[in-house]
Amino acid sequence: MQDSQDPFALLGVERRFDLDLKVLEKTHRELSRALHPDKFAQAGASERRAVLEKAASVNEAWRTVRDPIKRAEALFKLAGIKVGEDNEPKATTAFLMEVLEEREALSEARAAKDLAKVRAVGETMTKRAEATQKKLADGFATAGSPVEKLVPLLGELRFYKRFLDEVAAIEEENES
Amino acid sequence: MLLEIFDPKAPPRAIGIDLGTTNSLVAYVKNERPTAIQDCNQHALLPSAVHYGDRGEVVVGEDALKRAAEHPRETIVSVKRFMGRGADDPETRRLGPYEFTSPKNGDANVVRFAVRDRVVTPVEVSAEILRALKRLAEDELRSVGGAVITVPAYFDDAQRQATKDAGRLAGLDVLRLLNEPTAAALAYGLEKKQNGKFAVYDLGGGTFDITILVLDDGVFQVKSTGGDSALGGDDMDRALAEELFTLAKRDSKTASPGEVRVVLDVARQVKHGLTDASEVEVENPLGKEPKTLLVTRERFDALVEPLLARTGTACKRALRDAETKPEDLDGIILVGGSTRVPAVRTYVAKLFGKEPLADIDPDQVVALGAAVQANLLAGHGNTDEVLLLDVIPLSLGIEVGGGVVDRVLPRNTTTPAAARASYTTQEDNQTGFEIHVVQGERELAADCRSLARFTLKGIPPMAAGMARLEVTFRVDADGLLSVHAREERTGLEQTVEVKPSYGLDDETVEQMLIDAIDHGEDDLLARRVAETRVEAHRIGTSTKKSIDSDAELLVAGERETIEAALAALDEAAKGTDPRKIQLRIDDLDAATKDFAGRRMNRAIAKAIEGQRLDAVERTVEHAKGIELAHGSPLPPEGG
Repeated sequence: MQDSQDPFALLGVERRFDLDLKVLEKTHRELSRALHPDKFAQAGASERRAVLEKAASVNEAWRTVRDPIKRAEALFKLAGIKVGEDNEPKATTAFLMEVLEEREALSEARAAKDLAKVRAVGETMTKRAEATQKKLADGFATAGSPVEKLVPLLGELRFYKRFLDEVAAIEEENES
Repeated sequence: MLLEIFDPKAPPRAIGIDLGTTNSLVAYVKNERPTAIQDCNQHALLPSAVHYGDRGEVVVGEDALKRAAEHPRETIVSVKRFMGRGADDPETRRLGPYEFTSPKNGDANVVRFAVRDRVVTPVEVSAEILRALKRLAEDELRSVGGAVITVPAYFDDAQRQATKDAGRLAGLDVLRLLNEPTAAALAYGLEKKQNGKFAVYDLGGGTFDITILVLDDGVFQVKSTGGDSALGGDDMDRALAEELFTLAKRDSKTASPGEVRVVLDVARQVKHGLTDASEVEVENPLGKEPKTLLVTRERFDALVEPLLARTGTACKRALRDAETKPEDLDGIILVGGSTRVPAVRTYVAKLFGKEPLADIDPDQVVALGAAVQANLLAGHGNTDEVLLLDVIPLSLGIEVGGGVVDRVLPRNTTTPAAARASYTTQEDNQTGFEIHVVQGERELAADCRSLARFTLKGIPPMAAGMARLEVTFRVDADGLLSVHAREERTGLEQTVEVKPSYGLDDETVEQMLIDAIDHGEDDLLARRVAETRVEAHRIGTSTKKSIDSDAELLVAGERETIEAALAALDEAAKGTDPRKIQLRIDDLDAATKDFAGRRMNRAIAKAIEGQRLDAVERTVEHAKGIELAHGSPLPPEGG
């Protein structure tokens, strides 16, 4: 499964952050079609096993590449930079101060059961996450720029993800 | 009417089976149309009831149901609700007439029914239903090939494994376990040739599933799935039965098993009656005072309301997981007999904001879809036209420190799937890892379903945090999990014997097979020979096809080696020794290994190439040759 180390190669796309996911989804679908175990139901045992492994790695690659956090992690890993929450620098005070306001707004909205407010905070954070993704895309696309400088952006993305998960959970508890 | 003449040499036909909680049925593709097989009374639905008689005889279906009132303990209905569950599962404590026994020391932790002087497991009871369906299919088709058996999308690994074991026990070659909603979508999609986003709302006798999927030119891609594998029409019957007990001024807790069975049956009749009538009056089954019991539709709707609300929660979550809003859906497909209940239809229409589709019989649609899939897997029909991409219904993970779950594969991951996770030792000189595999969405392992435990032993003493354990999860197209563990520093590897937490191990199933044959079923050896021959024929045919169609991928001398292996296999298949046939199959497998690798790489290259041509402007500047497995480079661009 060495090739699953490079999900970009497995899907036949360039290593970059700003990928066209619509095109990639079609590629994944075509690969799934070519490799689906159903098409090899008549084949011998070792061929079926090989195809199953391959189909699983293609699915894994697609799962990695379509998720911004996993995609960034893979790009860092391929550039030889250790990531994962234990290896990344702690969030800066400046960043924490910036998001503190939103965090408080969310707590208040939750306590007041103000679903519209919860959604509004969620949208603000979604916009911030998009801006961070844009910075990552530009950073990875700029030839010669040191990639390790981008690592804190990954930490920000993780923060936004957790925040938005919380927003979704609050929406769920208020709906049902 | 024309008499159909049986062809004694009729080739085996693949069948699709809907193994339902209340009813089961079998279908196959007849003249390119999926068709349900009927019994001699023109009934396609076989009640999923099994009666164990006093002379050791086993009765299945309508005749078993008839004996349920008189022999409630010896007649198992709704066995599906017990599949893959532990002996102490809450399901065993619900309103019902059965007697359960605890597993003896060392026995698998599964539900055990005590019937007369014997003990049967849900797998064995289900196998009886499958055997009856197989006989029904054999009457129609003479020879039955492989089978696709459907399972609720929300079934966990233990429930799926139990279903597959039951198939094996019934002597079926289980080609695939297929999710019921996907099967239904397949039947609908092929019928209508429609593209779009659909929700399949499947409320059966004992299980509820909701699936959001996209149909796009023959690709059925499941986006999300959710549900409750213990919620269905049975629960409506129970709620109604409790109401009948109350109306009859009796306490259900003091009722005899026979009374419980009778009241549950009456409840079901009342439920069916209320589909068309606004009220139903029945004779009091529990005594003379009051003489009759009256239930209105309104009262019934109120009784089922909490059950429907539970389906609503699951639907909302599935929509969220699929990042879809109700207004984005092109249609809602209703599946399962319980969707006949008017309150269900009203609820679904309100929840999704549009009238659901129910033009294919909701009782048959799943089996019809399964028949289509079975036909495809047996090598008939065009596999390029249809592709099912299903998902894992519940997250799979490992218990780590503090009883917390580390999610290895999140729910709604497309299958087949594989993922790895790394762990390390917590203590100095720790020489073993205990690995606990769980399934579910909760944070703590204790709140999830336990699937299996195993230990990786023999790690040399090291300081804490030094050992590196890599655990690989693989989920195949049946949705079944296998786990593999490896210690990185020493290379110590174990494809661990996974002891299922709630299931039968291979040996037990094997023993059950042998026991079944002792009961005069059929001859084990003859069956083995037949199975191995089928396998030999399948692989032989497919190999011959591929060395012709992909001849240019063969290297010098390879064709001769493969053809020699083919000839040896043909020769062995004429004999009666299954081991010899298996050896020749293995030889052929080895002879074609490299060729198969080349074929697979070319398939990958073609799939990527096709896409590049589609999106040539966007990708042309970074189109590069890519390195694939087996280290062989791809043919150049455009090849």
